[in-house]
Amino acid sequence: MLTRREFVLGSGALAVAVSVPLRSDAAVEAGVGERFVTAYLEIAADGRVTLHSPTTEMGQGTHTGHAVIIADELGVDLERVGVVTAEPADPFRRNGQMGSGGSWGVRYWYQPLRKASAQAREVLIAAAAAQWSVPAAECVLEHGEVVHAKSQRRAGIGSLAAAAAALPLPAEPALRPKSELRYTGRKVPRVDLAPKVRGEPVFASDVERPGMVYACAVLSPVFGGELERFERDSVDPVPGVLDVVAVPGGAAVVATHTWAAMRGAEALKIRFKPTAHEALDSAAISRQMRAALDPEVAAIEARRDGDWAAVAKAAKRVVSADYEVPYLSHAPMEPWNCIVEIGGDGVVHIWAPVQTQDRNRTAAAAAAGVPPEKVRLHTTLLGGGFGRRLGSDGIAAAVVTARAVNKPVKFFWRREEEFGQGWYRPAQVARMEAALDAEGRVTGLRVRTAGPALSASFSPQGLPAGQLDGSSVQTIRESRYKPSAFLVEWARVDQPVPMAPWRSVGATQNGYFLESFVDEVARAANRDPYELRRELLSHDPRALKVIETAAKAADWGQPLPAGRARGMAFVESYGSLCAEVAEVSLRDGKPVVHRVVCALDCGSIVLADGVRSQVEGGIVQGLSATMEEAVRIAQGRAADRNFDTYPLLRITQSPERIETIIIESGETMGGVGEPPLPPIAPAVVNALVALTGKPIRDLPLSKHRFA
Amino acid sequence: MQITLKVNGQARSIDADPDMPLLWALRDFLGLKGAKYGCGIAACGACTVQVNGRAMRSCVVPLKSVANAEIRSIEGLGGQHPVQQAWLEDQVPQCGYCQTGQIMQAVALLEQNPNPTREEIRAGMEGVLCRCGTYPRIEAAVRRAADAMTARKGS
Repeated sequence: MLTRREFVLGSGALAVAVSVPLRSDAAVEAGVGERFVTAYLEIAADGRVTLHSPTTEMGQGTHTGHAVIIADELGVDLERVGVVTAEPADPFRRNGQMGSGGSWGVRYWYQPLRKASAQAREVLIAAAAAQWSVPAAECVLEHGEVVHAKSQRRAGIGSLAAAAAALPLPAEPALRPKSELRYTGRKVPRVDLAPKVRGEPVFASDVERPGMVYACAVLSPVFGGELERFERDSVDPVPGVLDVVAVPGGAAVVATHTWAAMRGAEALKIRFKPTAHEALDSAAISRQMRAALDPEVAAIEARRDGDWAAVAKAAKRVVSADYEVPYLSHAPMEPWNCIVEIGGDGVVHIWAPVQTQDRNRTAAAAAAGVPPEKVRLHTTLLGGGFGRRLGSDGIAAAVVTARAVNKPVKFFWRREEEFGQGWYRPAQVARMEAALDAEGRVTGLRVRTAGPALSASFSPQGLPAGQLDGSSVQTIRESRYKPSAFLVEWARVDQPVPMAPWRSVGATQNGYFLESFVDEVARAANRDPYELRRELLSHDPRALKVIETAAKAADWGQPLPAGRARGMAFVESYGSLCAEVAEVSLRDGKPVVHRVVCALDCGSIVLADGVRSQVEGGIVQGLSATMEEAVRIAQGRAADRNFDTYPLLRITQSPERIETIIIESGETMGGVGEPPLPPIAPAVVNALVALTGKPIRDLPLSKHRFA
Repeated sequence: MQITLKVNGQARSIDADPDMPLLWALRDFLGLKGAKYGCGIAACGACTVQVNGRAMRSCVVPLKSVANAEIRSIEGLGGQHPVQQAWLEDQVPQCGYCQTGQIMQAVALLEQNPNPTREEIRAGMEGVLCRCGTYPRIEAAVRRAADAMTARKGS
């Protein structure tokens, strides 16, 4: 793993400079600003392009998406484009922060990166045109060369870099017509896969620095607990242990290698200060949340269409059901770790798998007692993120340890800390009510959700009392269903369990609540759930097309073998509309998912295969949560601390077939990493209920017995 | 204690605790970073390597038990192994952290059963978790690799 400076020096060929009209703070600090055509693009003398991407690559494919965008717009071959995650600087920030989440990676950066590439193309062409004394309009940039066909002259972009340096960037460069885009929307190989398949050291945990030591964290198992004291000499019998350092939340055992640090951590005698919630457990949390479903308990209104009370009063009947979901762990396969090296110049170098560069740099700087500019954050590829690496809860302890031992440190959590430190998808409950008229039409919906406020836990600024936590009503508040009355409220039930956005965030639980309830309503009205959804969406051609596409491809309404049933769900999140149909049966009392059909309208796409990959992954991860996942809380801590009691879906439980239909509606580009996940839980649950006739109102399914 | 390991065909001598799991010998002592730590209890399979041809979870295999064994890690596949090629053809990995374990499991599976059925592929790969949800592509890539290896043998 190289720093940017080492990368540039090591490349040698970068003697040729390029202009820097939009260079980044980080580039300036690194002393390599002159290599940048824009903040994003660095062009080597041999014509290789390095994209400094604003996004973290954690498997979702945005680095490849960005490489495709610039290869197409600039006019270079995709194989000539390399991608690294940038260091925090203005050009890489969205709303003032650099980070990757909310499925923004491609849809937000599509236009800025196209523009930057077009700017680079225009100054490179202008440089060539000036050298050849020909009109720039007669030149094109293709395959990494500027070409003037009339005079049969051509020059590689690397050789034009120096001349381009003197030219100002055009403010509004022309973008290429769609017909000139070679890669966009087509199947291309991911830029990060070959090293991963060869087992090359691409993760933070693979980074080694000269003289590095290893630090294993021992953190309070009780949420929010702090160190009381440890017995330093309790680790003395363990060979290889060098030191024990007090860190926020506990201690770090420092040793010459990983195993010694782990053994030292097991041997360490440590006590934590008592907290106010030593007796907290899942049952108490559930009781408190369900108590807040009582209409007498104060709630915050999130949506009010029409007059629910009047509609309910006039209704032929009102159908009601309560739902509940547990806390979920992100469980990325790579447990938290990072490498901290404090240089003789006081600059703090960190190699870390983080999704939020500014947040982590700020936290690291505070822990190091230096200004943020003195922290060089090298974001590695991530061994999974799913939202768990949006926080900065792991970085301060690493910096504190490195300061204490005055050596480069690889700081790591064991799997038990990764599970036990919290930052979960919130547990939540919901009371769903629907008013039906005599014809079985839905005239009103009322939803009350209750649970802890994600933003209160996760946002550095918290959430003031009386304010709505958006994710607690996400996708229900914005639902395209438009009965004449629609009331949505949320009751806050704070808990001391840390929470963070989990892939698809509030859409995971709320999509399940709403879409499973729609099926319950359909059953109560003796109607086909697909036809009921069509009625609820009859005003909305775009949404209708999505559910109709999924239904048709999934043979909705066609006979199935005995013992099988279909279920459907439709959830919109992160700017994309997604419908899924699952086909299930029971084997030995356990659900088997035979087939999932997904119709996704994300407006338009950049990576054809990348979208499919995210659909498949979202369905499998969502199914994992649906089937078996729950973090059980006992004695103020996570009772589940490893994969033995927190099972993830295995390949034997994976759907036998996943079919993806991408709808390019031409609407505003939507997200892709998250939207395919939420519909799978209600689709599978609805299929099971269709099969068994028994409602399923809490997850995971492993809690339920099926005949 | 001095222990000699035979890794990817080479004898490598290290001074280490004989109870230390093989994973840490590979990663910290021999600089082979392909095998990953995921759980430490043989529950996730990210650390999978071959020991005498069998897929083993190196996070729970003590060094003293493999002193005379043939150990193969992903670095020993050479990069062009049919399983690795199939993994690229099918664009299997997302984050990639579990994939070296997946690939080593697949190599061991196909060495024992060159033409597995779909159920045998699933059963054979069951021990290695993937959080990104690449299972459909893993299944397809194992099938592709099996076909490629069979075709190569036949020709």
